[in-house]
Formats: sequence, structure tokens, C-alpha cells
Amino acid sequence: MVKLKPINRQETALYLGYGKNTPDEVISGLMDECEGPLMEACKPSYCYGVFDVEICSEERVVISECAMELTGKDIVKLLTGCGKVVLFAATLGSGVDALLRKLQVTNMPKALITDAMSGAAIEQICNDFQEELSVQFPTMQQTMRYSPGYGDLPLAIQKDFLATLETGKRIGLAMTEGNMLTPVKSVTAIIGLRDITKEEELRRLRDILGSGQEINAELSVGNCAKGACEGCAMAAKCHQKDN
Amino acid sequence: MKQKTIQILDGAMGTRLQALGLPLGGIPEVWNITEAEKVTGVHRSYLAAGSDVVYTNTFGANRYKMAASGYSVSELVGAAVANAKAACKDYPGTKVALDIGPIGKMLAPLGDLQFEEAYDMFAEQIEAAKDADMIVIETMTDLYEAKAALLAAKEHSDKPVYVTMSFEANARTFTGTSIECMALTLSGLGADAIGFNCSLGPEELAPMVKRLYEITELPIVLKPNAGLPDPVTNTYNVTPEEFADCIASLLPYGITAVGGCCGTAPEYIAALKKRTQEYLTDGVTYEVPAKSELCGICSSTEAVWFSEPRCIGERINPTGKKRFKEALLNGDMDYILSQAISQVEAGAEILDVNVGLPGVDEKEMMVRVIRELQAIVSVPLQIDSNIPEVVEAALRVYNGRPLVNSVNGEEKSLSSILPLVKKYGATVVGLTLDEGGIPPKAEERFAIAERIVARAEALGIKKNAVQIDCLALTASAEQAAVQETLKAVAMVRDRLHTGAVLGVSNISFGLPNRELVNSAFLTMALQNGLTLPIMNPNSDSMMGALRAYRLLMNIDQHAIAYTEAYKDFVPAKAELKAGATVAVGSTADDTEAKIRASFGDKPAELYAAVLSGRAERGEFLARELLNEMDSMDIVNHVLIPALDSVGSGFEKGRIFLPQLILSASVVQGAFGCIKEKVQSSGEQQVSKGKIVLATVKGDIHDIGKNIVKVLLENYGFTVYDLGKDVEIEAVVKAARETGAPLVGLSALMTTTLGSMEDTIKALKAAGLACKTVVGGAVLTEDYAKRIGADYYSRDAKTTVDIAREIFNC
Repeated sequence: MVKLKPINRQETALYLGYGKNTPDEVISGLMDECEGPLMEACKPSYCYGVFDVEICSEERVVISECAMELTGKDIVKLLTGCGKVVLFAATLGSGVDALLRKLQVTNMPKALITDAMSGAAIEQICNDFQEELSVQFPTMQQTMRYSPGYGDLPLAIQKDFLATLETGKRIGLAMTEGNMLTPVKSVTAIIGLRDITKEEELRRLRDILGSGQEINAELSVGNCAKGACEGCAMAAKCHQKDN
Repeated sequence: MKQKTIQILDGAMGTRLQALGLPLGGIPEVWNITEAEKVTGVHRSYLAAGSDVVYTNTFGANRYKMAASGYSVSELVGAAVANAKAACKDYPGTKVALDIGPIGKMLAPLGDLQFEEAYDMFAEQIEAAKDADMIVIETMTDLYEAKAALLAAKEHSDKPVYVTMSFEANARTFTGTSIECMALTLSGLGADAIGFNCSLGPEELAPMVKRLYEITELPIVLKPNAGLPDPVTNTYNVTPEEFADCIASLLPYGITAVGGCCGTAPEYIAALKKRTQEYLTDGVTYEVPAKSELCGICSSTEAVWFSEPRCIGERINPTGKKRFKEALLNGDMDYILSQAISQVEAGAEILDVNVGLPGVDEKEMMVRVIRELQAIVSVPLQIDSNIPEVVEAALRVYNGRPLVNSVNGEEKSLSSILPLVKKYGATVVGLTLDEGGIPPKAEERFAIAERIVARAEALGIKKNAVQIDCLALTASAEQAAVQETLKAVAMVRDRLHTGAVLGVSNISFGLPNRELVNSAFLTMALQNGLTLPIMNPNSDSMMGALRAYRLLMNIDQHAIAYTEAYKDFVPAKAELKAGATVAVGSTADDTEAKIRASFGDKPAELYAAVLSGRAERGEFLARELLNEMDSMDIVNHVLIPALDSVGSGFEKGRIFLPQLILSASVVQGAFGCIKEKVQSSGEQQVSKGKIVLATVKGDIHDIGKNIVKVLLENYGFTVYDLGKDVEIEAVVKAARETGAPLVGLSALMTTTLGSMEDTIKALKAAGLACKTVVGGAVLTEDYAKRIGADYYSRDAKTTVDIAREIFNC
């Protein structure tokens, strides 16, 4: 059973367009009202697989035992130096979709806020998973979570990604013709595992980015090329978009 | 009680093939052709272990999953059946079951797969497996998908069909289906056996098997995993012996077929075979609980049993309701849905759905409303129409087991409606009238009821699936007839032993203080055997009468439901007038002062209520103001300036989207009051212009579009909201039919921008003069230009500005 923590209000505010501003009492009061029903509607679950990985060229990564390959310069950059890769999928479940549909008919402000809160909730599930992963692989450094559709990693791999993890059977996660995940509040992500320390990881990122760029080790940002935001599937909710 | 035989099914296929070299995420069905020997080998290993039935290697052999396989569905299914047949040749008496798993996409409203499309995909698989002996539909987590598959199986073959679904530890599937809903729906649709497979081990499934046995008369199939998987190694934790022992202990609960799912191998099947044979020959008779004779209906997530009085909400019905009629004519789904939600919140357990209105295509509307309702509310529905085509279309798309309202004693009704009820496994209301009209005497109505039940039973519909409506006539016109109705209800209860329905509110038509008569009649009728009152749940006195009856009859034990409903009850006298004294917040600005100077205190206060986002206060003030101020003046001089002020704060980054929407919802409430007033006074409605909105084909994220809609409506525009994942042709059709000068399109994902472009092209190709405005998270102004949109809108407020520019208002 995946447990959900209280929902991160700062993250919620970020999704609501507040930037660094703080919501007023009315809106935070609405957040309080929205949290209970959302928690009740959430049936969070995730599944994952850990595989050996091999970079075959500047634009191609092969995952052992898997039919799927990863393509693109960005994923190669991400996984350089990684001996293992984690394929990960998480969802809040279809109850949240139903709650959001209902709220859009009965109470639009709450729909908007619940939508943002559920975004924060799924992020939380992912973060918690990464923490668990670091316990499982204490000597390995994790890359950022990288999802199909980020940078030049094709969103079209989503179908094979889901098939590899058998997400339909394991957590009830599928997708639409347009590669959108259903239930809507879901995430698929690739996390590289590197046999190095945090310091080495920072040094590696500095090499890639050059000096003068601020590096956020928590998120390992900076893997995206300049201007990559346009057309990136992450653009709507990326923490780094404005930086 | 003990079964005579128990079929031994096979074990896992996918994991066996992976052990033989199939990569993860690879397509196992391709091996039916490229590695046929290996597939046949797996079948043989199970047959040797004792399987009576093998499942073909076709779990994912549908058009969607096989798209990249290089083979057609019929090639893959044909080869799979041939492989299984070849293996069975050496084992006389064994059978080949066509295996059908989920398509891999979610059905609408969760996903973008339409029910009919899913049906077609399943039908293709079934047609390709002519040589299979039977059909198994397994690992279903969406009841709606299971229904599509079962319907396809019944309509494309005469073979026995087993349906098994996968449940989580909370006894629900991923989409929330309960065991009760599965049993009611699938047995109604004609499955030959139902049960469980995958997701859990036999121990976790044990309580679910027992529950299913209590509520179904169908044989039960059980095919669990070998316990639970280790998340890292993906190995399972139950040995073949433990597996077989646990299943053997469940065999007395009506199980007629057993096998294994993920993690099982031939050893598991061999152990199972051994233990099953021991059970069949041990000479012990097993005592298991008696089945109840209960009948019920359900949605995909909620079952309602006809075991006690249940409220059927009557409000989704245009009869005598101006606002509802208008909503039907304009396709205003939000209004219809809000009617549904308010009834459910008030305590309705079933909703009647009647959309018959001249000028409305009843069949199309019924299907649309059922789909939309089922996406929002979880109570089961009553399909209210006497037109067979409408009833059938509704039965087909309904997710769960519905109640059909109605059949009557006329031959043409009996012969057209009852076969549909049988085919789709529904329940039905039988009206006690026939070619001769409504008989005056209770005995005559009872005779019709008996006839309806006899005809239903002759078709194989169980008696308890028929709910008799003895018809409540208007007391003001036929006062003496009330007693006849009550008498007939009692006869139905005592002599026919079926449930009874009544449209309760009819009784008081033409009388003053109708609710008084209605609630008195409701109590009398309940006492006489009424079980399904069709009534207005939003009437406190009616719901009160029903709740009190349940309490007094010891149905609501320990008064749990009653006290829950009235725990916050305040006697009428002490009730405060809504929003009587609320201090105005610190939102005063210049405009507010100006409004106060020109129009007075109340308008200024309404203005402030919008700014501070207080919906109840806003609605209260709007209602009051309508008595003293022209409705259009309220809109133009109070509401719109308030929205403008909020909008400008939003643009300047002083206020944020949730606050903008909060203010918009205050205006929405005020608008609701104004609409009501305008409608009741018969004035012409004022609209600033028509706008069509849609989230484009392929895109299922529509919150952005819905926000835009609320704001546009706030400003007095008439919005035709086509919803999400909208076909290009539907946008063109709506733009043409409404003549709307502006079409707004929204898309969230890069992958659906293509269909936005195609929609714009189609609008232009159709020669329509409308302008297009586009928006969505990944859109940019440049991109909007590139795809030929007339306007790009970066947020909801900008869309309003664009609309006001176009409509010059």
C-alpha cells in the first residue's frame, strides 16, 4: 500500500500560478476543504523495474531483457555513466479523475484547486519512491526523473513503456491514442542509477553545463537544452521552466 | 452440496514464454507464428499436468496491442487456436478457450476508447477464433470493458463464455467495481461462469470468492496468482502445495473451474488437480450458506438491492420543467448533471432518466445523458422511455445493470421491451395498464401485473427483476382511486411477492400544498408495500417521510441513517436568513464607490461579494436586487465591472487564477438567479453572442476549457460546450448549426496540437466564416499562427477579451 502524505501547499500554489506568492486565507481555506475528499479519492499505487542499461550510440540506449529502447541525445546524456535504469510508473487512480469531473460541474474553484493538489500529490508519491530507491541502492546516485516526452525522448515510447512494466495489470494505468496517461494523475519516469557519489555527480553536471550555471543537485537540472521548453510535455508544470 | 465435476484450467502463459526468451514488453502473441513450437510446448506442459482447458496465447491479441506486431489479429488468433488445438490432440476431451484480455486502453470517460470501438475489437478476436471451444474474458478491471467483450462474445458466437475480473485487496477493481456490481452485471448479460483471476493470491481472494457465492447463482471460476510478487525480484511467494490447499478449501463455494495466473507453472496445476480430485471423491458433504433471493441494480461501482424502500429521484425529466427543457434543447449538460448531483446529495439512491421532448432526438440524447451521468454520479440509473429503440440504445451503453421504466400490459410493449430486458440482463418496471387503459379496480391492475410477470418469466427473466407500478392517479380528479392504488400495491406485495414502484408526486396534482399530500401518501404507500418511490429527493418533507418510515420499520437499525441525515438539524424558526449579516471585506475600490453612488448599497455590496469570492452572499444579493433593479442593469453595471476589476488584477499579477475563478463562480450563481427570473417572466433572454468551445480530438484534459467556459458565460456569452476529445466533424457541425462567430479550441499536449490544426483546417474548408481562438499549456503565439488560428489566448481572461473584441461588447 502506498501511503499519501498531507499535500504540499507550496507545490500546489506553484501549479496554481502563484509563483513565489502565497495564497490568501480564502484560497488556503478552500485547499483545506479540498484535501479531505481528494485523499479519499486517491488510491495511489506504483510499480517499477530495475534493469541493466547499455548506451549503444549518441542517441540510443538499450535496456536488458526489455524489448523497448530509449532514443535521443537527452536520454543518452542523462544515462551516461549509469549501470542501471529504473522504469517507474505511478498513479493516483481513477477515483481522482471522477472527483475532478464532478467538481468541474459543481464547483469550479474547487476543481481547479483539487487539480493542482493532485498534481502535488503525484509528485509526492514519486519523491517518496525515490527515497525508497535510495535506501534500496545506497551506494548509487539517482539521476532526475525523466519522463517520455521530455526533451527529445519521444513521447511515443509510452506504449512500450507501459507494456514493459505491465502497468495495466499491475496498477491500472493505460494511455490514450495521443500517449496521454489514464488515469490522468499519473507519471511514468526513467531514473538512472550511477555508481558514484553526489560530489562526482555534481562535477559531472558541471562538465556538461559549463561553469556559471547554478546546479540544483536535488533535481539534477540542466539536462535540458536551452529552448527545449517549447513543445516539452513537462512545460506546463516544470519547476525550472522560468529559470 | 457438492459439484459433480471441476474443470482444471491452465497456468500462466506470459511468464512461461519470458522464461523461454521473450523480452519484457515483447509481444507474446507473435510467437504463435514465429515460435509456434514453444507456445504449443507450454500448452502441452499444462495438459500433462492435468489441465482440462488451455487458454490460447491471445491475451493481448487485439487490434490496438498488435498494431506494431506485423501481423493481423486474425492471423495471430488463428495461429494461436491452431497451436492450442495441436497440443490438445494428444489429450482427448480437453478444450481450447479463446483467451481475451483487456485492450490496454481505458474506455471513456476515463480514457479515449469508445464502448463501440472496444466492442468491435473484441468481435474481431472472436470472429477469428471459430475453432475455439469456448471463450474466456479475463483480467478485466473495468466492468464496462468486460461488458463490451461479453456482449461481443454473445453476439458473435454461441460458445460458453467465462468472465473473470481482477480485484485489489480492498475488494474493488482499479476502476472501483465491486464484487456485487460484477455479479449483477455479468450474470445479467449471460455469462456462463464468472469469477476472479490475477492480481492476488488464493488466500487474498478467499473472502471475495465467498462473497460472490452469496450473491450469484452462476458457477464460479478462480485463477489466482501464485501469491503476491516481490516488488524487486518479481517472484511469487506461494508454493504449489500451498496454492492447491488454499483453493481446495474454497471449492465448496460454488467453484467449477480452477487454474493459475501470474507466477504459476505446471507444478501448480498438477498440485491443484490432485487436491481437486481428492475433494470430489472424499465423500464429505459441505455446508455452505444459503443464497439470498435478492435482486438489485447497479452502476459499475455501486449496487442497490431491492431489499428495502429506495428513493428514485424524478428530477431528470423535462415534464413541466421549463429550465430542463431548455437545457435539453441546448444540450446544456452541466445543468442536467447538476440536477443529478443535487438529487444524489439529497439522498436519491437511483436516478430516473427521461429525456423525451419534441425537437430532441431522444435516442441520441438518452445515450449522451447516460454516459455523462455515469461519468459523474455513481448511483444506478432507471432508463425512462417506452420507445424500444431508445431503451435498447440506453441498455447497450449503460455501465452496470439498470432498471428499465417501463413495460406495460399492452402486447406491443410486452413483445418489444421484455426481450431487451432479457438480453441486456436489466430489471424492469411493469405498469399495470394495457390496451384498455388503466383499470379502475385493484384486482384488474393486479391481473395485468400477473400477466407481465408471467410473460417475463416465460422469457427467462426472474420474477424479482420485475417491479410493478400500480399507478398513482391524481387525488383531486379521482379521489376514490387512491384506495385502489394502495390496495393493488398490497396485493403485489402479498400475492405476487415482487417490488412495487409508484410515481408518488402524481397524487397531489392540482392541489395546494402538494408536499403535504405527497408525503402522507408516500407513508401510506410504503406501509402497503411500496418499495421504489419515484419522488423528489430535494423535498425535505418527502425524504423526511422516507427516512422516518425506514426508522420506524426497523430497517434503518439504530437509526444510523436518520441521525446522520439530521444531526445538524435546526428547527425552522431559529434558522438564520441566508447571509443576512456579513461584513464587507476590505475589497472596496473606486468602482464600488461609483456603483454605490449611482445604484445604491446593495449593488455595491454585490460588486464587493464578487471581488471577495463569496458565492452564497452573491446569490442572495442578486435575488434581492432582482426585485428592484433591471436584470440587464445588474449584469452590465455590477457583475461585469466586478469581473473586469478581478480580471485586471489577474493581468497585473495581483490576484491569481483560483481567486479569478472564485469570483467567476459568484457571478455564475448570480447569473443563475437572473436566468430564473428572466425565464419565469417570459422575457427574451439576452445573449452577447454564441461561442463554440471544444477540447480537440485526442485530448482528454479539459479543465482549462471549462475555466474559459465559466468566464465567457459570466460575460453573458452563450457557450456551446462540446466537451473533450471532440471529433473534428462535430466541431464543424456545431459551428455550422449554431452559426457561432467564434470557435474556441483547447489542447494540452504536444501530441494533440495536430488535431487542433486539422480542426481549424476543417472549419475553413467548410467555408464557415467563424474565427478561431486557441489555447492550452503547450501552445505559443507563433504556433497558433502557424496552424492558422485567428487568435491565440494565453489564459482564460484573454479569451474573454478576444470575445469582447469580436462581438464588440
